[in-house]
Amino acid sequence: MNALFSLLFAICTLLLLYISPETFLPALLDGASKGAAVCVSLVATYSVWLGLMQVWEDSGVTRAVSKLVKPFAKRLFKTDDEEALKAVSMNMSVNLLGISGAATPYGVKAANLLDKTKNAEYSSAMLFVLNATSLQLIPTSIIAVRVALKSANPTDIVIPTILATLLSTILGIILTKLFIKDEKARDTGRVCMPKRLQTKGAGTR
Amino acid sequence: MNYLLGLIVPIIFLASFLFAIFRKVKIYDSFTQGVKGAIPLILSIFPYIAAVTMLCKLLEVSGLEKALTSWVAPLFSFTGIPEEIAPLVIMKPLSGSGSIAVLTQILERYGVDSYAARCACVAYGTSDTAFYIGAVYFAGLERKKMTTALVISLFSFLISVIFSCFLCRIM
Repeated sequence: MNALFSLLFAICTLLLLYISPETFLPALLDGASKGAAVCVSLVATYSVWLGLMQVWEDSGVTRAVSKLVKPFAKRLFKTDDEEALKAVSMNMSVNLLGISGAATPYGVKAANLLDKTKNAEYSSAMLFVLNATSLQLIPTSIIAVRVALKSANPTDIVIPTILATLLSTILGIILTKLFIKDEKARDTGRVCMPKRLQTKGAGTR
Repeated sequence: MNYLLGLIVPIIFLASFLFAIFRKVKIYDSFTQGVKGAIPLILSIFPYIAAVTMLCKLLEVSGLEKALTSWVAPLFSFTGIPEEIAPLVIMKPLSGSGSIAVLTQILERYGVDSYAARCACVAYGTSDTAFYIGAVYFAGLERKKMTTALVISLFSFLISVIFSCFLCRIM
């Protein structure tokens, strides 16, 4: 990210120096205010979904759902960290429902927890790819745009979209497994580690 | 169908609250406790979002984005992706709000039910904004393998866009 950011930033600045240097600062300010606006709308989205998620957490829905997805997540992410698996499972199930706004807080939490685990390189990459290639069952925002523009058949893109997003996700998983070495395979005799985290996880509940 | 889709979110809320009442959860306390978490979360990701949006604006103003788009467009039509949706394919991994703007533009220019527009819609739905995921989820965490993950995501996105255009032709 550092290299990419510096490179693109430098090229753009050079181009602007040549074309119109006076637009440089306004462009930065405009970009920053757009960033601030994005954050404000994110605060609104997060408030709604984090509120609901806390209700799920307290009524035991979170635990039930993540229990369902967990065996799958465990095999995919190759980690034993209970708290991280819980966040990952919720992130995956909410993504499936197409509520991407609600997936983000779980995703951020999962990324931070996975970063501290033994197999961080592999599992973080898997989290990245799974979210970037997003598996959606209902493309709600696209349908909304199509309805707004008076399409004759706003939902005729649903099935192609599901097939295409399925392909991108499966391809992403396969490539991640191929190209990113998972350290867990070489790492044996680490039994005490997840146990300690497990009891810690139980204590915070 | 649209009506049914609109029902999903309210039903999720209603069902969750009814279940919470059944489990004797203090809903108001619980809900507000959850909302409280929104501000620290935003504070932690704001710097990264601001930096990325600044860069996106620079890309747009400097004309680099347009240049990249016009260079890549012929390659796209070679793979069966209509040239019209090239700006969307470039924009999608970079910015969510930017790509929905580009999508709307394409739908308006070529007609909502045209082949290019349908391709654009399906292509839009195949993936999420990879750079945004990188910026928000992994804000402040430096991992060596993230570049590989980014390349994998972009590659999968491109392949599924080609697949989307193929599906739109036959479906």
